[in-house]
Amino acid sequence: MFSDHNHLSRRRFLSGLAVTSGALATGVGSWVVRPDWANAAEGPIKVGIATDLTGPIAYAGTADANVAKMVIKEINDAGGLLSRPIELYIEDTASNESVAVGNVRKLIQRDKVDMVLGGITSSMRNAIKDPIVARGKTLYIYPQLYEGKECTPYLFCTGPTPAQQCDEFIPWLIKNGGKKFALPSANYVWPHTLNVYARKVIEANGGEVVFEEYYPLDQVDFSATVNRVISNKVDVVFNTVIPPGVGPFFKQLYEAGFLKNGGRLACVYYDENTLNINQANEIEGLASCLDYFKTLTKDDPVSAKIQAAYDKDYPGKILFAAGSAATGTYRGLKLWEAAVKEAGKVDRDAVAAALDHAKIAEGPGGPAEMVPGKRHCKMKMYTAVAKGGNYEIVGRSDGLVDPKEC
Amino acid sequence: MVQGMASAFVAAFEILSFGAIIVLVVLGLGIIASMMGIFNFAQGEFVLLGAYITYLAYSRGLPIWVGMAAAPFLVGALGFVLEGLIIRRFYAAPIVAMLGTYALGLIIRESVRGLIGGFYLTVPEPIGGSIDIGTFHISAWRFTIIVVTLLVMVACYLLLSRTTFGLRVRATLENPALARASGISTPMIYGTTFAFGAALAGLAGALIVPVFSLFADLGIRFLIQGFVAVMVGGVGSFIGPVAGAGVIGTLSAALPWIMAPVIADILVFVLAIVFIKFRPQGLLSGKGV
Repeated sequence: MFSDHNHLSRRRFLSGLAVTSGALATGVGSWVVRPDWANAAEGPIKVGIATDLTGPIAYAGTADANVAKMVIKEINDAGGLLSRPIELYIEDTASNESVAVGNVRKLIQRDKVDMVLGGITSSMRNAIKDPIVARGKTLYIYPQLYEGKECTPYLFCTGPTPAQQCDEFIPWLIKNGGKKFALPSANYVWPHTLNVYARKVIEANGGEVVFEEYYPLDQVDFSATVNRVISNKVDVVFNTVIPPGVGPFFKQLYEAGFLKNGGRLACVYYDENTLNINQANEIEGLASCLDYFKTLTKDDPVSAKIQAAYDKDYPGKILFAAGSAATGTYRGLKLWEAAVKEAGKVDRDAVAAALDHAKIAEGPGGPAEMVPGKRHCKMKMYTAVAKGGNYEIVGRSDGLVDPKEC
Repeated sequence: MVQGMASAFVAAFEILSFGAIIVLVVLGLGIIASMMGIFNFAQGEFVLLGAYITYLAYSRGLPIWVGMAAAPFLVGALGFVLEGLIIRRFYAAPIVAMLGTYALGLIIRESVRGLIGGFYLTVPEPIGGSIDIGTFHISAWRFTIIVVTLLVMVACYLLLSRTTFGLRVRATLENPALARASGISTPMIYGTTFAFGAALAGLAGALIVPVFSLFADLGIRFLIQGFVAVMVGGVGSFIGPVAGAGVIGTLSAALPWIMAPVIADILVFVLAIVFIKFRPQGLLSGKGV
C-alpha cells in the first residue's frame, strides 16, 4: 500500500516535472518529450523515434532525434494533428542491433506509439522492422539513403535510393571525370547492392568498371588499392569505403598523385559531416549526390528556413546533414503528418493508405512525394563538389527523381 | 622497365611503411608484456590518447609538433599514475590484469568518444605532401614514420641493453627478489617501465594520427594485430615482439597486393595461428634484450 502510494506520487511528481521541463527519461536510453498542452478527450498521438544516440554513429542518430524534436514541436505549436498534441518517444538503438530490438519493443508494447521512425544502417532496419511492422503491427518509416529493395508492407522509405543517387550523377561523372571507373568498397550489403546498380548505369553510359573490390570494414591501409587505381589510370574512384578506412584511403590516393593527375573522387554518402575526415586539399573536387546540401540555403528559402530553425535549436557539431538521415527524418515526419491529416485518424491501415500517395510542398532541398504503391519517395537530387572544405552545387535534377524501387 | 622498378619500389615502400606503423604501435606493448609479464589491453587506448593529445594541441592552434612532442610525456605520466593506482594490484594475477586493463581501456576509449563526439577528425601532418620518384609519389609523412620508428627502435634497444636502467629492468624481470636484495627499488622499476611502454604508445598515436585521422576506435584497431605480433615474435625479450610486429605488419600490407583483401585479412591470422602452433615460443624466444 505504502509503496503504491509512493509510486503514484513519484509519477505525479515526474509528470509535473515533465510539463515544466518538456522532457524526461523513462529508463536507460529512453526519453519522452511531452507537449505543453493536452486534448482531454482523445489524448496525445504518440510518435516513436528509434535511433543511434550512442555508439560509433551517435552523431547521426543525435541529429535525427534533434530533427524529430524540432518537427514535432513545430506541429504542436501550430495546434497539433487532428487537434491532438503529439508526444515524442525516443529510444536509443545504440548502434547495436540486439539492444535495439529490446528498446524498440518498449516503444511498441509499453509506450504503444502510433508510428516508429528510425534506424540508420541497413542492418539496423532489418533488425527492427519485424518487431515494428510484423509483430508490432505499427507503421515504420526508414529515413536513410540506402541500397534499395526494401519492399515490406507498412515500411516507408524517405531517403534516396541507388537510382536517385546514380541516374544523374554517373553521367555527370563520366562527363566531368572520365570513363574508367574503380569501385573500391567496404564489404557489406550497401556497397554490394549499390555497385550492382552503379555498374549498370556506368556501362549504359559508355563507361567501364576497371575493378570492383571489397575490403574488411576496419581496413585502414589501402596501398595495394591505390596502386591499382594509379597503374590502371582510373578516371573516377566511385568510393563506398566507409570510416575509418575512407580517410586513410583518400589520403593515400592524394599522396599517390591521383587528384594531381586529374582523377575524380566520388562518394554518394559524403555530406557536411564527412568533409572533416580529411584535409580539404586531399578531397578537392570530390563529388557527391544527395537530396540536400547546406549550401542550398543560399538560394532555396525553404531549405534556409529549416536549416536556420535547426541551427537555432541545436547549434554546435551535430549537423543537419543528408548523410545522417536528418533530411529523411524531416521528410518522413512531414509526409506522415500529411497522411494523418488526410486519413483523419492514426489507425495504421488508414494512415498507410494515405501515406502511399502523401506529398509535401516544402522540405529540405525541395518538395517530396511518395510514389503510389512503391513506399519510396520522389525527391530532388543535387550533385555537389567539394571546394576548399565546402560544397558547391554543380548539378540539380530537373524535377523530382524517381526512386525506382519495388 | 624503369616504370616497373619504380612501381616495385613504391610497393616495397608502402609495405615497409605499414610494417613500421605496426612496429611503432607494438613497441610499448612488447616492452610491457616482456619486461613485466602483463598483457596491457589498454595499450590501444594509450595510442588513442597520444593521438587525441596531438589533435587537442592542433585544435587549440598550437603547432602540431608541440602536440606530438608532448603526447609521449603526458601519456607516459598517465601510465605511471595508473600503474601506481591500479595495474600494480594485478601483478599476481595476469588474467585479472587482462580484464582490468581492458576495463581501463574501455573507460578511456568511451571518454574520448564523448569528447570528440563520435566524429572522425583530421589532423594535418607536420611534413605533408609527397616525395616524387619519376611518375610515382610516396608520402613524405610515411617516410618520416619509417625513420622515426628506426630511431626509436635503436634507442629502446640501447636503453635496455647498454644503460644501468636497462640492466635494472632486466634484473627486476628475471629475479625480482634478488633485484630487491641488491638494492633495486622494484616497484619504481615497474612503474617506470610501464610509463615507458605507455609513452611509446603515446608517441605511436601522435605519429599515426595524421595518417588515419582521429576516431575513438583508432587504438583498438591495432590492438588485435599488436597481440598477434607479440605472440608470433615471442614474449620475454625486447627484440621478439618487434620482429613479430615487422612480420605481421608487412604481411597485412603485402597480402592485399596479391589476393582479395577480404581473404588477406583472414589469412594473416590463419598464418599466425599455424606458426604459433608449430613454434609456440615465437620467432625469438628467451630472456635478454
